[in-house]
Amino acid sequence: MKKTLGIFGLFLAVFISTALINPRFVSVYNLENLIRWISLFGIISIGVSFVIITGGIDLSIGSLIGMTGSLTAWLLTQRGWSVSTTLLTVLAVSLFVGMAHGLLITKLRLQPFVVTLCGLLLYRGIARYITDDQSQGFGNTQENLRLLAIGKVAIGSKFSIPIPFFILMGIAMVASLILNRTIWGRYLFALGRNETAAHYSGINTDVMKIAAYMTCSLLAGIGGILFSLDLNSIQPSGLGEFYELYAIAAAVLGGCSLRGGEGTVLGVIIGTAVMRVLYNAINILSIPTHLEFAIIGAVILAGVVTDELAKRYATNRRAIREQLGDNPLNKSQ
Amino acid sequence: MVATTHMAEELLDVRSVSKRFPGVLALNGVSLTLSQGEVLAVIGENGAGKSTLMKILAGVETPDQGEIRIDGQSVKIESTGKAQKLGIALIHQELNLADNLDIASNIFLGREPQRFGFVDRPRLYADAQIYMTDVGLTCKSTTLVSDLSQGCRQLVEIARALSTQARILIMDEPTSSLSQGETEQLYKVVNQLRQRGVAIVYISHRLPEVQRLADRVAVLRDGSNAGFLTKGQITVDAMVSLMVGRTLGRHVRTSYSHGEPLLELRHLRTPSFPKHEVSIHLCKGEIVGIAGLVGAGRTELLQVLFGITPALGGEVRLAGEALHLSSPRDAIKAGLALVPEDRKLQGVILEMSVGHNATLASLQRNSVGGFLNAEREKKQAETITQQIRVKTPNLDQWVQFLSGGNQQKVVLSKWLSLKPRILLLDEPTRGIDVGAKQEVYTLMEEIASQGIGILFVSSEMEEVLRMSDRTVVMHQGRIAGELTRDQLSEEAVMHLATGAGDSPPISVLQE
Amino acid sequence: MIFPYRFRAALLLTFVALQLGCGDKSTPSTASTTPATATTGGKKKIAFITNGVDPFWNTAVAGVRAAEKEFDIECSVLMPPKGLIDQKRMLESLLARGIDGIAISPVDAKNQVALIDEAAGRCPVITHDSDAPLSKRLCFVGMENYKAGRAAGLLVKEAIPNGGKVMLFVGRLEQLNSQQRRQGVIDELLDRPQQTSDKINFDVAGKVLSGTKYTILDTRTDNFDYARAKANAQDAMASHADLACMVGLFAYNAPHCLEAAKEAGRLGKIKIVSFDEAAPVLQGIIDGHVHGTISQQPYLYGYHSVRLLKSLVNGDKSVLPPNGFLEVPIVEVRQKNAQAFWADLKKMQEIGK
Repeated sequence: MKKTLGIFGLFLAVFISTALINPRFVSVYNLENLIRWISLFGIISIGVSFVIITGGIDLSIGSLIGMTGSLTAWLLTQRGWSVSTTLLTVLAVSLFVGMAHGLLITKLRLQPFVVTLCGLLLYRGIARYITDDQSQGFGNTQENLRLLAIGKVAIGSKFSIPIPFFILMGIAMVASLILNRTIWGRYLFALGRNETAAHYSGINTDVMKIAAYMTCSLLAGIGGILFSLDLNSIQPSGLGEFYELYAIAAAVLGGCSLRGGEGTVLGVIIGTAVMRVLYNAINILSIPTHLEFAIIGAVILAGVVTDELAKRYATNRRAIREQLGDNPLNKSQ
Repeated sequence: MVATTHMAEELLDVRSVSKRFPGVLALNGVSLTLSQGEVLAVIGENGAGKSTLMKILAGVETPDQGEIRIDGQSVKIESTGKAQKLGIALIHQELNLADNLDIASNIFLGREPQRFGFVDRPRLYADAQIYMTDVGLTCKSTTLVSDLSQGCRQLVEIARALSTQARILIMDEPTSSLSQGETEQLYKVVNQLRQRGVAIVYISHRLPEVQRLADRVAVLRDGSNAGFLTKGQITVDAMVSLMVGRTLGRHVRTSYSHGEPLLELRHLRTPSFPKHEVSIHLCKGEIVGIAGLVGAGRTELLQVLFGITPALGGEVRLAGEALHLSSPRDAIKAGLALVPEDRKLQGVILEMSVGHNATLASLQRNSVGGFLNAEREKKQAETITQQIRVKTPNLDQWVQFLSGGNQQKVVLSKWLSLKPRILLLDEPTRGIDVGAKQEVYTLMEEIASQGIGILFVSSEMEEVLRMSDRTVVMHQGRIAGELTRDQLSEEAVMHLATGAGDSPPISVLQE
Repeated sequence: MIFPYRFRAALLLTFVALQLGCGDKSTPSTASTTPATATTGGKKKIAFITNGVDPFWNTAVAGVRAAEKEFDIECSVLMPPKGLIDQKRMLESLLARGIDGIAISPVDAKNQVALIDEAAGRCPVITHDSDAPLSKRLCFVGMENYKAGRAAGLLVKEAIPNGGKVMLFVGRLEQLNSQQRRQGVIDELLDRPQQTSDKINFDVAGKVLSGTKYTILDTRTDNFDYARAKANAQDAMASHADLACMVGLFAYNAPHCLEAAKEAGRLGKIKIVSFDEAAPVLQGIIDGHVHGTISQQPYLYGYHSVRLLKSLVNGDKSVLPPNGFLEVPIVEVRQKNAQAFWADLKKMQEIGK
């Protein structure tokens, strides 16, 4: 919780200082755009946080977004499939991909890094092969479906909330319930911290891990569909490139530990928000774009370093408190 | 008994050294002396200050107060490099060897003999061989460390220490991971070093070992000197009473009654000893100890019973019913529970609260449709941790911050709320304090009195003698013999455990 | 043509290769002992190498196929999917197998000189689309990006004759062609004198440039991330309420400007000028949402490359243009010629597939 507060502080700092320098940052138009991007990237970040909580990693997210995004456009426009069949197919493919990752990692005991790295290459290749490496798009068709990504719901007379935000909220709520209120959430955290002890406690760790990879891939698939609907023009070789790293960075910034066993949905969303606000601020403040990676890298690093220092401070305080005698446990019994 | 006269010929003279860490006085005016060719055992409970003292001697920490003299000269050991220069070498509990290098490279790591700026390889290997002979290592100096047994690695560490011309060797729990044979070899080396005039500070929890090796014993308690024992005075009882500050009454399990047979292992074969069949039975409310040397296949047997590794053959019956054990889940469902050997790795989740650890195995019953009933879970955690007498400020405390004994009680809590029929314990008191051991023993008795059958593996003779209603001794994957309460003695166990009684086996339970 | 050179992906791959301890071991020029001629059965064999995979190149290939028939020669087309590394690998295996002539669009002109020279030592080599002036290539078939930039500047002037604020969008500014295009647009809008392509003074990026009528606010880059390209356009509109015109320097930039303008309800109000001939842009020109685009006729790159190589492999150097530069003129597409242009393009791309 403290971690989430810390990252929220960082978010506020970036947000307020940008708004002060250029008031147009808080214009309705910009805020709506910002919320849409946060929502799209937030969905995939929540996905990867499930895998990170188990102590794993998924590097294939970006390519999977490329594959599912291209597939959505290709099936709808080139093959003429119906909307429902297309979406179901794409989501089924995503789940299958996640299951394959999970099975390879748990049953064959391959390293998640290696499995999903191969996925990164494989899905990109498949996307390009299926589409013959041609750019995909909806043109002026599928206007209704595209509302899922670009539509918005008016709140009052001036402000509208982009529809992806509602999708993100729905997903976040379910994810948060699973992590905090169900036995499966408890199992995920337990196995992320100590897989052997969890296994020895009767938890089916393999099934839980497979479920985590399936969740991650499913959310990447949903992200792929939304990105393709939003962008309209999709290059199979480029869509989603590097998004796995954005998602992982947002999750880590939001309090997930790559060692596993740590993370909150709210933190991850705020982590994503920090990243998107930074990108937005760089444009709004007319900071040269070639500096953006440097700025974002520096901010994430600063966030992580601050967090680590705060943690050490807290640990030291705790040690002092306990050893001063508040806690009788530290004496030998 | 505190030594007050410091004579000039003492090799090492530690004078009322104190060390304060934020909020805690780790060492409070500790003094000790060490002369050439002497083995001084330093013992004490966990947290008594042994490791702080050793770190100060090795230059890892510096004392706040007090003086350290070597050969009568006052010295400041402000770094590990300085310690090495002064002839002090620390042999860590966790060995610090580079697995991927050979023995010689490890011995001279960072101090390789050079020639024109290159490593002088012929000399490296020749020199290494000399030190290896000193410690009784017979293999070649070109052998990779990764190919060595745990015991041989220990010897490499010692050889490395000797190669720095160390005069004072600090050995921290050197036998904790050694087999019986390796331990004997280590004793031999210690004796040789002693004869050559090397002074040894020997830290150990294993009191019989201390009794056998030490010339003198320094006991620490709560960061202070609790007393010294000289050669004739060193007995296990004397050491224990100094360590805990009181004489422990020998606890021997007195009242026990055998119920009907509950668990039966019939011709069970484990992957580590595929050729040997194991047959054991366990009655309701009975405590059966499995004794044997490290590597006799005892842990492997428990792991097969708990579904962690699959059995190669044979069967396990619980109350007459054959069990299918392919995962811990199966075992738990059948009513088995395992308190594993490595508590921190297999037993508890350190970075999780006491409450969550205690309910981890029984979450399913506190949930409806997957959703947790937080209140019921909390109540269950409270009840069971009180019953097991886990000492924690609250249930939200991370298990990490509990003492070893309390961590072990958390593991017991986890299982007992499931009301198991069989409790398997693997080294139940490893690495926990004397006082806490006592509590674990009491708990084991209470659990058995509820009709739960207990099967425990222990390498501590004391423990086996105290707790077992019946003792099964294993040797190289087989049941070497079984001893009833009347037949049970240290000699009888050792006889079987070392394979001395191989033929004919004494009262092996055969169907 | 701006190649979709997956620079970041290559970086990641390199990183991964290092991680796995098995760096790219594609044999560096093992062809030194292999004879370069591939004349089998009398027909000469030549190769047309692109710098990536893109619809743009399909149009070029249509030109290749047409010239193949016309000049009776066999030309294989190679499209390296991952830029530099793949191109190097493809070129090397061509040399190893033997080839009579090569037309290549180098990914990295500066650092591929040695490779091109090695090829030039065995057979005639020409460059197309993007030049390697320091190498021993015989000539370059292409356009002048600076000129194309000035032409785009003229389109902007047409679109907003009364002047206003202009924002430029591009994938990467590190490449010479994007720098030249950008400078062309800027010089035209600020009514500066014509510069010659071989030595252009570039304005520093990130500075607001104001002339009498037109203000160039900035040039935003996206590193080929389409979502970023769209966000850049959105952010430009968010931070400048009075933005009058958006110029996309790479083929995919304008389509995303178009999407952003559409969502913001500013279609037609914000003028858009484009490069190349992406389908959404042509549709946008027809619909009146995009003012116009500068097309570089890739068909002719393919056609002329094959035509020149045919003569060169037969030892006829008379076809070489003076200064070694065969300029392919650009085509300006506006609403009035968009329909016809698109119809032709579709036909050519169909052939090229």
